[in-house]
Amino acid sequence: MTKDILLNIEGLSLDFRTNRGRVKALRDISFPVQKGRILGIVGESGSGKSTVLWSILGLLAGNAEVTAGRVDYGARDLLTLDAQALRAIRGEEISVVFQDPMTSQIPVLPYARQMSDILYRRSMSEADKRKAAIDMLRRVGIPDPDSRIDAYPHQFSGGMRQRAGIAMSMLTGPNLLLADEPTTALDVTMEAQMIGLMRGLRDDFDTTIVVVSHNLGLIAEMCDDVVVMYAGEVVETGEVHEIFHNARHPYTRALLECDPARIAEVSRKLPVIPGDIPDLTRPLPGCIFADRCQKAMPDCAKVAPPMVARGGGMARCHLLEGPLADASWPPPADVVTVGRDLGGLAPVKARSDAPPLLEVHDLNVRFRTMGPLKARLNGVSDPFVDAVLDVSLDVKPGETLALVGESGSGKTTLGRTILNLQGASGGTVRFDGRDIAGMAEGQFKPLRRDMTMMFQDPVGSLSPRKSVRALITEPLVIHGAQGRDLDTEAERLADMVRLPRSFLSRYPHELSGGQARRVGVARALALNPRLIVADEPTAGLDVSVQGEILNLMADLQAEHGLSYLIITHNLPVVRHIADRIAIMYLGRIVEDGPAAKVFARPAHPYTRALVEGVPQPDPDRRRPPTAVIEGEVPSLLRRPKGCDFAARCPLAQDACHAAKPRHTHIAPDHRHACLFPLRTPSDLTETA
Amino acid sequence: MSAPLSDPAAPAEIRESASRERREKLWRFLTDWQAMAGLVLVVLFFASAIFAPWLAPYDPNAMDIPARMSGPTWAHIAGTDQLGRDTFSRILHGGRVALYISAIGVSASLSIGLVLGMIAGYGPRWLDNLMLLMFDAVRSFPAVILALATVALTGPSLTVVLAIVILTTIPSYGRVARTATLALRHTEFILAERSLGASTPRILFQHIMPNVIGPLLILAAMEVPVVVSIEAGLSFLGIGVLPPQASWGTILNEGYLVIRDAPWMVIAGGIPLILTTLGFTFLGEALRDVFDPRMGRGR
Repeated sequence: MTKDILLNIEGLSLDFRTNRGRVKALRDISFPVQKGRILGIVGESGSGKSTVLWSILGLLAGNAEVTAGRVDYGARDLLTLDAQALRAIRGEEISVVFQDPMTSQIPVLPYARQMSDILYRRSMSEADKRKAAIDMLRRVGIPDPDSRIDAYPHQFSGGMRQRAGIAMSMLTGPNLLLADEPTTALDVTMEAQMIGLMRGLRDDFDTTIVVVSHNLGLIAEMCDDVVVMYAGEVVETGEVHEIFHNARHPYTRALLECDPARIAEVSRKLPVIPGDIPDLTRPLPGCIFADRCQKAMPDCAKVAPPMVARGGGMARCHLLEGPLADASWPPPADVVTVGRDLGGLAPVKARSDAPPLLEVHDLNVRFRTMGPLKARLNGVSDPFVDAVLDVSLDVKPGETLALVGESGSGKTTLGRTILNLQGASGGTVRFDGRDIAGMAEGQFKPLRRDMTMMFQDPVGSLSPRKSVRALITEPLVIHGAQGRDLDTEAERLADMVRLPRSFLSRYPHELSGGQARRVGVARALALNPRLIVADEPTAGLDVSVQGEILNLMADLQAEHGLSYLIITHNLPVVRHIADRIAIMYLGRIVEDGPAAKVFARPAHPYTRALVEGVPQPDPDRRRPPTAVIEGEVPSLLRRPKGCDFAARCPLAQDACHAAKPRHTHIAPDHRHACLFPLRTPSDLTETA
Repeated sequence: MSAPLSDPAAPAEIRESASRERREKLWRFLTDWQAMAGLVLVVLFFASAIFAPWLAPYDPNAMDIPARMSGPTWAHIAGTDQLGRDTFSRILHGGRVALYISAIGVSASLSIGLVLGMIAGYGPRWLDNLMLLMFDAVRSFPAVILALATVALTGPSLTVVLAIVILTTIPSYGRVARTATLALRHTEFILAERSLGASTPRILFQHIMPNVIGPLLILAAMEVPVVVSIEAGLSFLGIGVLPPQASWGTILNEGYLVIRDAPWMVIAGGIPLILTTLGFTFLGEALRDVFDPRMGRGR
C-alpha cells in the first residue's frame, strides 16, 4: 500500500448563492486521496458529494463561491489556478467519467473524431491518434473497435456508451479519474461489468480513481477508501472494511443498516432514518446529523463534535471522544441502531385459494416500427416488435407481485397495458373476472377507481402547476365525488400517508423525492382501489427514505387489503416486500414463483445472474470478475430465434438457440422457461 | 382549485396556508421592478386610451392652420401636423384604436390559437397534420394582400381589419401551443392523469394549458405592437382607419411624409408605440414568472 497522497482536500467550504440566501453546501471538507487507490464518496442526495467532485476541477455552477480551503494537487492549489492552468490539467492529468453518457457525449460527431479531439495537445499524427483511440476502446471491451470507432454515440447501447465514456477519459492517461455516479444510468448486469472494468483499469494504468455514488454496493465492491458525507460535511472517512464492518459514526451506521441488501432476514418493515436533511441556509452549530440521530444528546446540537482519528480515517462524533463519549458505542454489528417501526398491523396473508384479482393470460403488446407502405416497399413482412410476448401472471387479493427486469424488458409496457393506457395486440387481461383488455375508455373509467398506478418519477408524475391539495383530490373530482368535502378528504389522505398538512398548499417542485412519492401514494389511494400498479416505487429515493415509503405501502396493504403489482429492477428491495416475483427478459417472463424460493434457488440462469449481479454492500463479499454475466440486453428488433437469453447465458447449448423454451412448472407455484434449469439437490427432492 | 379553497368549512389552517401562497405570489409580483414598470406602462396605455376625450387638450380633428407644423411648444406639447391638428391629442385618440384592435385581436387569436394548438398537439397524427396545413396556409398569405382582397368584397372598415389581424396571427400562437403540448403529451404526469380517468378536455384545460400558456402570454405581449403596426399599415393603404380619424399608424405615416421638416411627429408618434411594447413585454414576462411556480424572481 502506497501512502503517497495525490490530492489533498483541506478545509474546503463552499456556498451557493440562491434566492433563499446562501446555501452552505460544503463545510470544512478535508480528506486525502491516496495515489493508486480508489476512493469512494458516498452520501445521499443533498450531501454535497458531487459538489466536492466538481470543485476539484473548478467545474462548479456560476453561483458557487469557495469561501475557504485548498485542493492541493502536487505542489499546486487547484482552487487558485487561473483558467488557462486549469485547462491544462483538465482532461490531461485529471479527467472525468460522467453519469449519463447520452448527454455527455457529442451526438453529431463519431467517436473517432471525439477521441482524437481529446488528444489535441499531443503532437501526434491523426493516424496515431486513431490507433491510440482504437487501443483504448479495445481495452474497455468494445468489440470490433476498428470499425466501431467510426460510430456515433446513438449507435451504441447504454453500456457500450459508458465504456466509450471511460475510454475517452482514460485516453490521455490521467493520474486521477473522477467518476460521478458512473453506473446509475445502467442496469444491474452492466453495473457489475463497469465495476470490474474500472478496477482493472486502475490496476493496469495505476490511475487513482475518485468515485461518487449513493450506491453502497458499488462503493463496497469497488473502493479501497471511503468518505461518508452528510448534508455538506464529511462525517466519517476510513478504509473500506473499517467503514462497512466497523462504522463509528451514527449516520454511517444508520445508512448501512437501511440498505435492504444488508438485511439478511426477510422483513416487511425496513429500517429508516426519520427526518430530513437540515436546511443548509442555517447550518446547526453542533453536529449536522443531531436532529435525525438516534443517539443524539442535548449537547449534540450545540457543540461541534470532535474529529476522532483512527488508522488513516476519522469520524466526527461526540460519542467517540470528549465529555460525551460512550464506551458502549459503537455496538456490535448485529445490533440495530436505527428506528425500526415494527408497529402497524400484521401483514395479511394472501389467501392462496381466493380467485385472482388480476389475471393476465398470454398478453402480447406489439409496436409498429415503420409505416405499412414503407414496410411493403422495403419488403418487411412483419414491421412490428414484440414489447410484451405471451405474458401470463395473476395477482391475488392482498398479494404483492413483483415484476423484475432490466430496462427494455417490457415491464413498464406491461404495467401500462394492464391499466389500459396502452393497447394490447393479443391475449386477455381479466380484472375481478371481467375481460378489460382493449376496453373503450368510457366503459373502463369506472374500473379506474379500483386499479390505479404509481409512476416512476415521484415529482414528474405530478402536474406541476397544481398544489398538493388539488393533486390528491384530483381522482375524487374526476370520478365525481358529490357530497364529499374535498378539504376534509385532502386532510384525510395527507394523514394517511403521513404527510404534514401544511404541505397541502405546496407545489410539486417544492417537495423532496420522498414527499412527492407520498403525494403519489395518497393520490393512488384516494378512491380506495383494490389494485395498485407501482412502477419503480423507490426510484429516485434515498436509502434512508425508501424504507419509509415501502413501510407505508405495507401498512396500507395490511389495512385495506390492497394488491400490489410492483414493477422494479431493485432486487434487494423486492426480497423484502414481494410475496411472489416474476422475472422478465425481453418481454417474456422467464421465471416466476414465491419470492423466497426464487431467491434461494433460481431455476433460470438469468434469474441467477440478476440475484448475483447486485453488488453486495460488503467488501468481504466481492465477486470474482468471472461471476459477472457478459454482454447486454439485445435490442427488441433483433430478438433471438431461440431462448432470448441464450447469447449471454453461460450454460447455453445448441438446443437453446433453436427454439423458444416453453414454460415448465417445477412446483405448482414455481415456473420457468429454460431448457436446462439450474438444479439443486433440494430441488430434486421437492419435485420428486 | 379555487372551489375547495373557498369552502367555508375549510379548517383555518388550510385556508391560512392557501392564502399564504396567494400572498406570496402577489408579493413576488409587486416587488419585481420589471413587473411594476410593465404594469404602470400598460395601465397608462389603457387609461390614456379610455379617457382620451377628457385628457386631450384639443379636439383631435380640429385644424389650427396658423399653427400648422409647429414644433413642441407649451400650447402643443407634441407639436402639430400639416393641417395644424394637435399631435398629442391625436396620439391619445389614436390609442383608442390601438387598444380596441390589440385587446380584441390579441385575446381572440390567443384563445383560438391556444385551443387549436393544444388539439393539434394532443390529438391524433392526422388532425395534427391537418391543423399544421391550415396554419401554414394562413401564414403564407401576406396580411395586407388578404386584407385588400377582403376589402374589395366588403368595403373598408375597422371590423375587417380586426378579422384579418385575428386570422393571420392565430398560426403563431397555434404553433407555439402545439409544440409545447407535443412535449407534454408523453410526460408521466399526463399519463398519470389518464390512468386516473381524466377526460381529454380536463387534461387539456386543467393540466396542459397552465403549462403552455406562459410562452403564449409573452408572445401575446409582443404581438400587441405587431397588431398595432398591421393596423397602421392597413390604415395607410386606406383600408383600415379612415381619415380624419386618428390612429398611431396614420400619425406615423403622415409624419413620415414630412420627416425632414417636422421630425417630432414621427418621434412623438413612435414613443407611445415603444412604451406600449416595453410595457406589455415586461408585464408578459412578469406574469409568466408568477404563473410558473418553478421560477423565482431575480433572474
